[in-house]
Amino acid sequence: MINWLARSAMVTFYPRSEQFPGIDEMPLDEYLARFKRESAPLMWAGFVLGTLFFHLTPLFTVFIPLPAFALSAATRERHAQRLSSHRIYYVRQPVFLLKMIAGLLWGADPAVRSRLGLAPYPADPGTWRRS
Amino acid sequence: MTHFAFREEDLTLEVDYVVVGSGAGGATAANELARGGATVALIEAGPWRDPEDYPSSTYGAMRDVFDDWGVGIARGRALWPIVQASCVGGTTVINCAICVRTPEDVMLQWERDLGVGNKAWRDAIWKHQDKLEVELCAEVVPPEAAGRSSLLAAKGAEAVRYDGHPMTRYVKGCVGSGQCLQGCKQLKKQSLNLQFVPEVMALGGTVLSCAPAERVLLEGRRAVGVSGRFREPVTRRKGGRYTVRARKGVVVAASVTRTAPLLMASGVKHPLLGKGFRAHPGTGVFGVYDHDVDMNVGATQGWASVQYRIEPGMKVETLSIPPEMVASRLAGAGKELVARMGDYRRMAMWVVAVRAEAVGRIKRGLLGEVSVDYSFARPDMERLRKGLALLARTHFAAGAVKVLPGIYGLPYEIGPDQVDLIENGPLDPRSYILISSHLFGGTTMDKDPTRGVCDEYGRVHGYEGLVVADASVIPTTLGVNPQHTIMALARSFADRLLDA
Repeated sequence: MINWLARSAMVTFYPRSEQFPGIDEMPLDEYLARFKRESAPLMWAGFVLGTLFFHLTPLFTVFIPLPAFALSAATRERHAQRLSSHRIYYVRQPVFLLKMIAGLLWGADPAVRSRLGLAPYPADPGTWRRS
Repeated sequence: MTHFAFREEDLTLEVDYVVVGSGAGGATAANELARGGATVALIEAGPWRDPEDYPSSTYGAMRDVFDDWGVGIARGRALWPIVQASCVGGTTVINCAICVRTPEDVMLQWERDLGVGNKAWRDAIWKHQDKLEVELCAEVVPPEAAGRSSLLAAKGAEAVRYDGHPMTRYVKGCVGSGQCLQGCKQLKKQSLNLQFVPEVMALGGTVLSCAPAERVLLEGRRAVGVSGRFREPVTRRKGGRYTVRARKGVVVAASVTRTAPLLMASGVKHPLLGKGFRAHPGTGVFGVYDHDVDMNVGATQGWASVQYRIEPGMKVETLSIPPEMVASRLAGAGKELVARMGDYRRMAMWVVAVRAEAVGRIKRGLLGEVSVDYSFARPDMERLRKGLALLARTHFAAGAVKVLPGIYGLPYEIGPDQVDLIENGPLDPRSYILISSHLFGGTTMDKDPTRGVCDEYGRVHGYEGLVVADASVIPTTLGVNPQHTIMALARSFADRLLDA
């Protein structure tokens, strides 16, 4: 469930444009599973809270008493914009975390990097010296 | 040559000196002790990653080399991430290896106000820095590796009429791959996992990695060893316990956020333990040009100015960050955000690091968690605004068509006639996205045991055989990058141990 909610929020932040692919064209489910498995517990907890916060607050931004996932894409995007520029710091911060974690996937995608004149990242080996 | 990585079995060793932490302070101290003929065990909480193990992406860097994904935060009115590494070599693996000598005015202040050092002490520090520059191949960033962002900064500073210079870094033959923050796979950066740590092993030392220290062992007021438990770096599963007995002494250099809490956990008593935390928090301003800058091509950091180090108290420098970090740094969401990313190739990011007056505190919670209380004072916010305005002016002088201040409450982009918006910008730290870098304090030096935790050789007042050899001992901000100072202090402290 949380992955589904997170996906919905992340797609709102990084949609497809003429210049760039959208995050929904990237291996988002695999990324979320990996992030859950690999991230620090506090980081994951912040991400989950940020996701829930995103979906539970449209009443205060676009004044519609529905969770964000039930909004149209355009309204959900307006909600995301208002949250990320909200005057209250502790509203902006959870959204910043969500946007950052989504950005780690989106900005590192080979197609995005290619359009920015950058070579694809080699794989992160995740290895270390064992003896 | 012995290296123990994560293991299930318990381990017991006995050496002359145990050094906790393998970053700038720990690796340098261990290396000096080993060169002096002592047997040394170097204990590192994180894993040992060789260049072929280094990550490429920011995700990989956060996972593999940042300390606990970079979730450490300085908490005050705003939440500012603390960026440091957890791996053999410590933060020297992920920093830009910037090499700046300890300023004389700072050391004179230490002598005058704290009774720390004298002329001979200062000369010894600088002599160590002379040697370190040779050993670690300190070089000025060559123009061909500087990258356009640094060249633009030099042009802009000249037009605005302040001094700047290509950085001197512990980098031999930089090729400008722009990967300092993930670890230099080109083997050009002389990080200490590649330099001093292997030498410690070659001289008969032992390295324990994946081995967070839990406590310094004390017998009365004498430090006699270190104990802890191996931890698997990916799953965080706990492994065997280790105990390393020290015949002659324990050197703690676990980082500013870890050293004081480790001493607290070990039962070291001092009313100032954890106090005196200081930093150079910083943030950046993007300039957008009418041509490609491609800031990710060239040295990650290549140019700096220290003209304003003393008054008003700040350093400005270039810093290139990859698209995934820019994406979260830019304001907005959705189509608007993605459209803004279209400017990436034309962006240059320059940063200001504030030499802050604010003083914070490092705390250890009931469950052993570490927290840092730290808030900017108003003069620090004023310095920050001045620095950001200076950078904006420099961008425009270098030809930027617009500047992205990244300040809440200001327009997303401003033109050359709007820099005063930054200068008169908000004084609330929550309006800015800062990171806490260049950390100091927690076990500060002072000749007087009632005013400082350590003496001028890092020896903890009131204890025998217990020395702190990282930035925790530094009692003030420096106004420059601290790695060179940390290493010289560590070497000086190790020499004093050997002399004793």
